[in-house]
Amino acid sequence: MKVSQLDKDGKVTEISICAECARARGFTEVEKLKANVAEIITELKNRIDEGDSRLICRTCGLSYAEFKKQGRLGCADCYVSFHDQLVPLIRRIHDAVQHVGRTASGGRKQAQQKMNVAKLREALSGAIQDEDYEKAAALRDQLRRTEEE
Amino acid sequence: MSPNAAVGKWLAANGPEADVVLSTRVRLARNVAEVPFTHRATETDHERTIEVARWALADSGYLDSGKFLSNEELAEPQGQYLIERHLASPDFVASKAKRGLYVSNDETTSLMVNEEDHLRFQVMASGLDFPEAFTAAAALDEKLERQLQYAFSGEFGFLTACPTNLGTGMRASVLAHLPALVITREIEKVLRGAMHIGLAVRGLYGEGSETKGNFFQISNQKTVGQTEWEIIETIADISRQVITYERKAREYLMKKLRVEVEDKVFRSLGLLKGARVLSSDEAINLIAGLRLGVALGIINEVNLEQVTRLMILVRPANLQAMLGEKLSAAERDERRATFVRETLVHQ
Ligand SMILES: [Zn+2]
Ligand SMILES: [Zn+2]
Repeated sequence: MKVSQLDKDGKVTEISICAECARARGFTEVEKLKANVAEIITELKNRIDEGDSRLICRTCGLSYAEFKKQGRLGCADCYVSFHDQLVPLIRRIHDAVQHVGRTASGGRKQAQQKMNVAKLREALSGAIQDEDYEKAAALRDQLRRTEEE
Repeated sequence: MSPNAAVGKWLAANGPEADVVLSTRVRLARNVAEVPFTHRATETDHERTIEVARWALADSGYLDSGKFLSNEELAEPQGQYLIERHLASPDFVASKAKRGLYVSNDETTSLMVNEEDHLRFQVMASGLDFPEAFTAAAALDEKLERQLQYAFSGEFGFLTACPTNLGTGMRASVLAHLPALVITREIEKVLRGAMHIGLAVRGLYGEGSETKGNFFQISNQKTVGQTEWEIIETIADISRQVITYERKAREYLMKKLRVEVEDKVFRSLGLLKGARVLSSDEAINLIAGLRLGVALGIINEVNLEQVTRLMILVRPANLQAMLGEKLSAAERDERRATFVRETLVHQ
């Protein structure tokens, strides 16, 4: 009979051999072999998908499975946590991955800082009014640190 | 006309190509760094984001020429009113998260806080005018960025809750009135061209083929891999082509089907002037017919601006706000007819 031999490079060569010898030498028919390879690939893919689904963003706790279900990410860090999974998706949507437009200059958070200062001032005057001087001292330190930022 | 009948400056119908294009819109999506996206943020996060946005707007002088509506002020019927005026999205109005909304006095600029993204702001301009809309949107973007830190990555650009808005975070669109292309059945061919190069086209009222009044919106779908101006140029180029086709179709109609066109236009005017009961849908269809007549110079007793503002004022929430009354559907249809009649008969 003729059997197919699959060498290390994945090349299939046909050799003539009797059935018994073939079995003894561990040969299988080429169709079966192909089926096995396909099964192995599917199995591997499933395992990768399962692994992807188990991925979780440490910052916001969103899992990749949840993202796949609802289509929305949980926080900016999700783009880091799921980076490798998102790249092909982004390419499918936009035909590109690299941003080329306006850039953020890393704002100085003035509004956020001003708001924090205003809140601390409010808390401080409250603490003084309540004569809670221990709390007031702590708030004053915190206020000083915030203002210096 | 009652003093409440004011509409946004972008509806003045005085921009470039106003005979075909109603308006141009540039919308930017931004998120504040270190705060989870809206749907995953806590109520405290929502409140803080609203406060930060309000601070930033106040500090950049935007509150001197506009107002900031709190979550409570966004309850119905205000929500529907804002949707009809294109100042807020239906998702934003329906959202259960705490929200805030900035609207400039001339209604060209609005900023939603805690929509799908923390900040979604837009500038609208009359006619086909990307320089006006984009320059104003970019100016607000820069002012905001001086005040707060955006979620941004060098690779993906501005980070958004949904990857479809990533990169520039920009959705640019043109709202065009294309009745002649619809009548001559050229519309599909023309719009297919726009879709072929990756733009989205949809009807203004209602989805799919059932578009009332033949208003169409052309916008970008892709937001990564192209600069803002490249995206805008693509939409502007296609828009100019569409404008040319629409004008050619109007010329053709005037040459070959003048009587039919005049009949359609004057019937619209006649019904608007004479009807005693008008639904919102019927009114919009008739106003669209009237608009074509004005754009073609068949009708001179009203101008494009008057027609365009009518389109907003006949809608349910705006009609009631203008009249200062809460009305049932039947009452509305009657009062709408009265309002339209009075506007067109004694203006
Ligand atoms: Zn043998
Ligand atoms: Zn996350």
